[in-house]
Amino acid sequence: MKIMTCPINGPRPVSEFFYWGEMRPMPDPDTCSDDAWADYVFNRNGAPGVKKEWWCHTASNTWFVAVRDTEKDQVLRTYLYGEQP
Amino acid sequence: MNAVTSARPVSDVAHATCLGIADLSARARAGAKGPGTAAWLAGLGLPLPARPNSWLALPEGGLIARLGNTEYLIEGNAALVESVLRAPRAAGVYPVLRQDAAFALCGSRVNELLLQVCNVDFRCLAADPALVLLTSMAGVGVTVLRSGDIANPVFRLWCDGTYGHYLATTLLEIAGELGGGGIAPDLLP
Amino acid sequence: MPWRLLRFATAKQHPEPRMFTAHAELKKSYDVVIIGGGGHGLSAAYYLGRDHGITNVAVLEKGYIGGGNTGRNTTIIRSNYLTPEGVKFYDESVRLWQDLSTEFDLNLFYANRGHFTLAHTDSALRTMRWRAEVNKHYGVDSEVVGPDFVKQAAPMIDLSCGGHAPILGALYHAPGSVARHDAVAWGYGKGADLRGAEIHQQTEVLGIVVKGGKVCGVQTSRGFIETNKVLCAVAGFTPRILEMVDIKTPLYIHPLQAMVSEPIKPWLDPILVSGSLHIYISQSARGELVMGASLDPYEVQSTRSTLDFVEGLSAHMLDMFPFLSHVKVMRQWAGMADMTPDFAPIMGKTPVEGFYLDAGWGTWGFKATPVCGKTMAHTVATDTPHPLIHGFSLDRFRNYALTGEKGAASVGH
Ligand SMILES: Cc1cc2nc3c(=O)[nH]c(=O)nc-3n(C[C@H](O)[C@H](O)[C@H](O)COP(=O)(O)OP(=O)(O)OC[C@H]3O[C@@H](n4cnc5c(N)ncnc54)[C@H](O)[C@@H]3O)c2cc1C
Repeated sequence: MKIMTCPINGPRPVSEFFYWGEMRPMPDPDTCSDDAWADYVFNRNGAPGVKKEWWCHTASNTWFVAVRDTEKDQVLRTYLYGEQP
Repeated sequence: MNAVTSARPVSDVAHATCLGIADLSARARAGAKGPGTAAWLAGLGLPLPARPNSWLALPEGGLIARLGNTEYLIEGNAALVESVLRAPRAAGVYPVLRQDAAFALCGSRVNELLLQVCNVDFRCLAADPALVLLTSMAGVGVTVLRSGDIANPVFRLWCDGTYGHYLATTLLEIAGELGGGGIAPDLLP
Repeated sequence: MPWRLLRFATAKQHPEPRMFTAHAELKKSYDVVIIGGGGHGLSAAYYLGRDHGITNVAVLEKGYIGGGNTGRNTTIIRSNYLTPEGVKFYDESVRLWQDLSTEFDLNLFYANRGHFTLAHTDSALRTMRWRAEVNKHYGVDSEVVGPDFVKQAAPMIDLSCGGHAPILGALYHAPGSVARHDAVAWGYGKGADLRGAEIHQQTEVLGIVVKGGKVCGVQTSRGFIETNKVLCAVAGFTPRILEMVDIKTPLYIHPLQAMVSEPIKPWLDPILVSGSLHIYISQSARGELVMGASLDPYEVQSTRSTLDFVEGLSAHMLDMFPFLSHVKVMRQWAGMADMTPDFAPIMGKTPVEGFYLDAGWGTWGFKATPVCGKTMAHTVATDTPHPLIHGFSLDRFRNYALTGEKGAASVGH
């Protein structure tokens, strides 16, 4: 069983978590071009790498950030949003 | 919330010593969260658990549990819960509707049941009795803590009320296999 | 050692030749380079030769042919999709499948079984009525049936699914079939080879050279080759190739897992899929139960498999077929599914001239192998998208004109 560490609840099986994709900066919808907005809405970085992702510990509804190697499926760090990694 | 188990709990002392499950869903409960909650509850005269995911017994009976950084659950004494529910809210305090199904598990074989339905080994609560665990049990998100003394632990369990029937049936089925069953709350140690 | 075997071992001329020629060298240049020796790439090579007379073609495969999702899939073939674009496209594929064994002179074990998508909720039943209407409109055999009909086709089923997800009906698709996946890659490979295309295994594409917005060559692990046309058909590896040409897409990669049981006596004829339980099952000609479920819940670019998957799938399978509780699981594996937000593929031309894309096949592209090869061969040969793939262009995202196929494709198969 894969273990993910929630910054508040500690190490738990990954089945207690929900994955919400890579953290991506949102362009300003009022000023950006239609193409830039469509790029934000649809396009993803599907190549493997070390990515910052949104995860949620569903049993406690704790949202946090995981730094994960998506090819090796290795979680390198987890922290609460706003805290220094 | 009303009781979720339909079969009347038998006042079976044998169950209580082996493996008893009491339905505490009908107890009074209040919830609140948000950055202003700690100060607000303190203002109402409640003691506050210092760490996230820990709990305290209340002097007038019942308990207060801190779920995460800024969320609290108060359960027990109906008058106290009522006063929390009625108190005017302060800034940064958001009410949390608590429609939990709630159970208490006790008896000598309680760990055998818990090991079958959850990834967490609740024996860790022996070392840190103030701990509150939020985890998943038989596929349902639950909040768990241990009250009672180490020799006769009582595991308290809360889950979303809509899963109550399922969780109760699942737990009672396993309890039955282990020689236990439903009990009335007054039989809890 | 038996005498006959020894004779084979020492003979230079084998009565059973290899499926295709092994070429020692890469040529300096090709008219078309196809990246990916899965079913899709090989099928495109085949139709380029057969339909367009283009035979100076190289298929570059970094591993061995059919070793990607082609050899990992659960081989379900059907055309009961939800969108008109999808239904027409997959229907053409089902039509092409019928003649393939004869065309290749190779038994693909194409077996028509009938396909049921079970409904456990009113809303699922509503989507099925909708699908049946769209299907019938385009001449595809598809109808909503009741639980009795399901029970007749699969007598071992527990229609109540353990009491918590009773089956209310199903979408029945008589043409639903399964086929032997490896044989499909071999058949197309053999056919392409016969017509002059070269298949190079153990040859990885490492870079693509683009000058002035046009493709002019491919860097491989065995040297550089010139070409003006590249077709990319690499399924779960697509984002890595797209980085080489700087094209952004919505593709994201999640593993899709599957497993088979030990072989048991034949008891299940049709293919059964349950959207609510997120599982599907069929029985192979060897007697193994071939079982799959939904995508893994998060992004991973590797083919690792998990115990969670086996547990979840088995638990739900027992809801439907309690009698399987003593059957052993024999193997499990995973493939990398290249997913799109609307569950339709991405096919056709791209902003880079001479770079053609056949991707976004996620969990459902095996059935499309023939029609993908055919339409992509047309697109590459004529530099115009085949009419059947208009709904699948990469532009659709920028234009917010999605081809919403989720209602027919969310349980991967
Ligand atoms: C478990 C599972 C079950 C499935 N079940 C079904 C089903 O029941 N029905 C259905 O229709 N579809 C199903 N699918 C989907 C289907 O398998 C795929 O959509 C389809 O096989 C894709 O074929 P392909 O030829 O495009 O890709 P692949 O067969 O994956 O071929 C791509 C090839 O490209 C090669 N490659 C990658 N990068 C490079 C490089 N840089 N250089 C050279 N070569 C490279 C790879 O080695 C690979 O062999 C399933 C998929 C999985 C994983």
